[in-house]
Amino acid sequence: MTMKRKIIAAAIFVFVVVIMMVIFFNIGYGQPDKDTAQEKLVVVSPHPAPFIIPLINEFESETGIKVKALQCGTSKALELIKSNADIDVLWGGSILSVGESEGAFLPYKTENIDSFYENFKDVGEGFTCFTDVPSVLMINTDLIGDIEVKGYEDLLNPRLKGKIAFADPSGSSSSFEHLTNMLYAMGNGNPEDGWDYVEKFSDQLNGVILQSSSEVYEGVSSGKFLVGLTFEEAALTMINQDKHIKIVYMEEGILSTPDGVYINKNTKHADSAKKFVDFMTAYNTQKYITAKLGRRSVRRDVEASVLVTPKEELNIVEADRDVVGSSKNKWLSRFSDMMGGANE
Amino acid sequence: MSNKEINSFQDNIRRTFIWYSLIPVIAIVFTAILLFVCIWSIYTGAANKKDNLDIGTDISAILDNYYELVFNCEKAMLKSKDDVKASEDEFFRELYSHTEKYSSIGKLVILSPKREVLFSSEGSVPECLTEEEYDNWGVWNRMRSNPERTETILYEKNLYVARGIHKRSGLAYAIVYVVPTSVISDIIYKRNRYCAVTDANGWVYLNNTQGLTDEFGQINELFEGHNGIAKIGGVKYVSYESSIPAGLNIFTFSDINRNLSIMLIITAVIAVIFVAIIVITYRSTAKSSEIYTRDVKKIEKAFEAVQNGDLNVGLRIDSSKEFQTIGNDFNKMLGGLKTQIEQNKILAENVAFAQVKRLESQFNPHFLFNTLDNIRFMAKIDAAAADKMIVSLSGLLRYSIRETREEVTVREDLDNLQNYLNILQIRFNKRFEYNINVSEDIKDCLIPKLLVQPLLENSIKYGFGEKEKLTVNINGYQLQDKLIFVCEDDGVGIDAETLAGIKMQLIDLDTEHQHIGLYNIHQRIKLMYKGDYGLDITSKEGEGTVVRLVLPVRM
Repeated sequence: MTMKRKIIAAAIFVFVVVIMMVIFFNIGYGQPDKDTAQEKLVVVSPHPAPFIIPLINEFESETGIKVKALQCGTSKALELIKSNADIDVLWGGSILSVGESEGAFLPYKTENIDSFYENFKDVGEGFTCFTDVPSVLMINTDLIGDIEVKGYEDLLNPRLKGKIAFADPSGSSSSFEHLTNMLYAMGNGNPEDGWDYVEKFSDQLNGVILQSSSEVYEGVSSGKFLVGLTFEEAALTMINQDKHIKIVYMEEGILSTPDGVYINKNTKHADSAKKFVDFMTAYNTQKYITAKLGRRSVRRDVEASVLVTPKEELNIVEADRDVVGSSKNKWLSRFSDMMGGANE
Repeated sequence: MSNKEINSFQDNIRRTFIWYSLIPVIAIVFTAILLFVCIWSIYTGAANKKDNLDIGTDISAILDNYYELVFNCEKAMLKSKDDVKASEDEFFRELYSHTEKYSSIGKLVILSPKREVLFSSEGSVPECLTEEEYDNWGVWNRMRSNPERTETILYEKNLYVARGIHKRSGLAYAIVYVVPTSVISDIIYKRNRYCAVTDANGWVYLNNTQGLTDEFGQINELFEGHNGIAKIGGVKYVSYESSIPAGLNIFTFSDINRNLSIMLIITAVIAVIFVAIIVITYRSTAKSSEIYTRDVKKIEKAFEAVQNGDLNVGLRIDSSKEFQTIGNDFNKMLGGLKTQIEQNKILAENVAFAQVKRLESQFNPHFLFNTLDNIRFMAKIDAAAADKMIVSLSGLLRYSIRETREEVTVREDLDNLQNYLNILQIRFNKRFEYNINVSEDIKDCLIPKLLVQPLLENSIKYGFGEKEKLTVNINGYQLQDKLIFVCEDDGVGIDAETLAGIKMQLIDLDTEHQHIGLYNIHQRIKLMYKGDYGLDITSKEGEGTVVRLVLPVRM
């Protein structure tokens, strides 16, 4: 065989192999289509999946905008937004816990703002109130027995020691809400006076602190805990799922702060994100949420659900948003110290 | 010429073995594997696609049927001028005629714009059609925003074929058919393949496997708008997506993980086998190529031996015909060569003998002439001296003619030399003096005939010049295994140019010979004795000449 023939044979062989490789890899591996992936509106939310699904579903079929939903806690979501991850909207998280991060969000005034209750209208440029979420206690009716729980004071009952579900307030916004609630309600309006109670309460936890708010309501439903400090909607969802749960509105006072919808100021889909905010605050959506998902609407024209106690009958305490915002880190570390760094 | 190192025959054989038998086999096998993988993946993709399109066609046909049902119901309402009660029989007729071929009848519902049930083919109606908060939500939302169009709507895991009939005053009534899940799932389960049916936004209606959806019940976005291989949770699928006109998307998947690992294992096993074969072949070819090339090595060695002068080698090859022929021919050739060399040697000896004979017979005519002239002159003044000269000359001539042996003893040659010296003594009288000093123990050694006489001739020829007297000393002795004769005189010596000429002649035996005597001796020694023997001359002008002979000791 001459050298030339050898080269030709080798060339043909290599050519055939390359062609096959090309065919194989053309069928081959793929990442999601870049274009379709980018068209999607990325929404990060601490809401539970049964809450997210019907709303996203309806939003998609009404607007034709596709949504990629990501579930995660409020503080993690804020971290993601600040680290420039590809996130368009933060959906959920109370105004109190997000308060200090106002600069990260795109100022937007929804077209529905005129129908809002007055106290939800002007909460900050980057914030749009979504629902009103009172903090509540939930108790497992099967296991609580004759222990009476009417408010925070009753949680100090020695029989409940280690049986109270409470999430780490530095990770869960609903837990931080409860901490603030305790400070204001037990301090009779002065948060500094509330720490006596918080100290006793932290003792009652017996070192058990949960990582996320979902562990709280699931823990009480499953019977791992007798009492949980959570938010109204979570408890209602459990009731709707036929879990044996009862809601207790704390007699010492209830902090009811709105959670919101926030647009990342670095979003590449500002129009879609604005549509999302408008959709979430629209009459039909708020009506559906109130009727089916156990939340209180921020709109005056939507009637409250029959499942919840009307707001007028609750002992509402007000928190100073500026004080809470500026004290957040201080309070968190103080609570963490009380827990003996157990959550570290 | 290329600079490439030339390989040995054995290496070439070995390489040929590997290159032309093993490599092509490996190449072919791996090409075949590659071809198989390609064809398999194309087939898998094609089969997946075909199933997908089949499912789409089947579902489309079913939905078309339901669309027709809804349309016929609208026609019935038209006929009865929107009187639902009057159309009920017609509704049931249409419902049964359109669903008889399926496993389930489903549910046909006619609703007022206020979500009141005007007609229901079967008891309960889903709350998403009747409850207040759904007025602008879900199914109703879609019917209101798409007037006069039949829509396929997926809501809360149920599929609705719905149509809002609008009159001048707005929405008049809605016809909704609730698609029984079993009808569609029958199509999917009929095929032995992972499949998912979703709406346009990726919300899953039906699927027959877990893990392909996200936590919210939407199809994993990796599959959306992407046909080919996708990897979800470490499992590889070939996926295909298609849409049907009713607004549903069909996804089909082939789990190729097991097949891929089987192929990988097969490829790996074959690769290991080939590596083993290569190693074994490499080893075994080392031995077999050695065996196959043993004859070549033999031939090589034989040639080398011949090159080094050993002609007594022979090749005995019986492994293969070709090499046997070569071996036999080599032997024949070598035999011929040997005979040839023998003959040449005899021929050369003959030539040398003849030449020696010719050289021996040369008798200097000058000497003869001078001697005869001297005899004539002596005859007048000293008859006795003349007589002695004649006797000596005739002795010289006799020795030169009659002595047929090539070699004589030193004694014989010296006896003959005495005749010559006698003549010289008479010729030059007191001007010439000589001393012969040859040790007794070499007198029986054999030397070429007439060896010493030319040395004397040479001394006389170059020595006298203008000089009054010339003395010549001849010494003969044995040094180790050599016989040395030295002839030195105190003559005028030879000038450098002549000396160089003489030396030239001694080295180059073929030039014109002027200095016949010395050349004669040197030539004869060279012809008769092989080795480092011969004649050597040194001379200094004004001091004399020394000629040295070196011979082997022969008794």
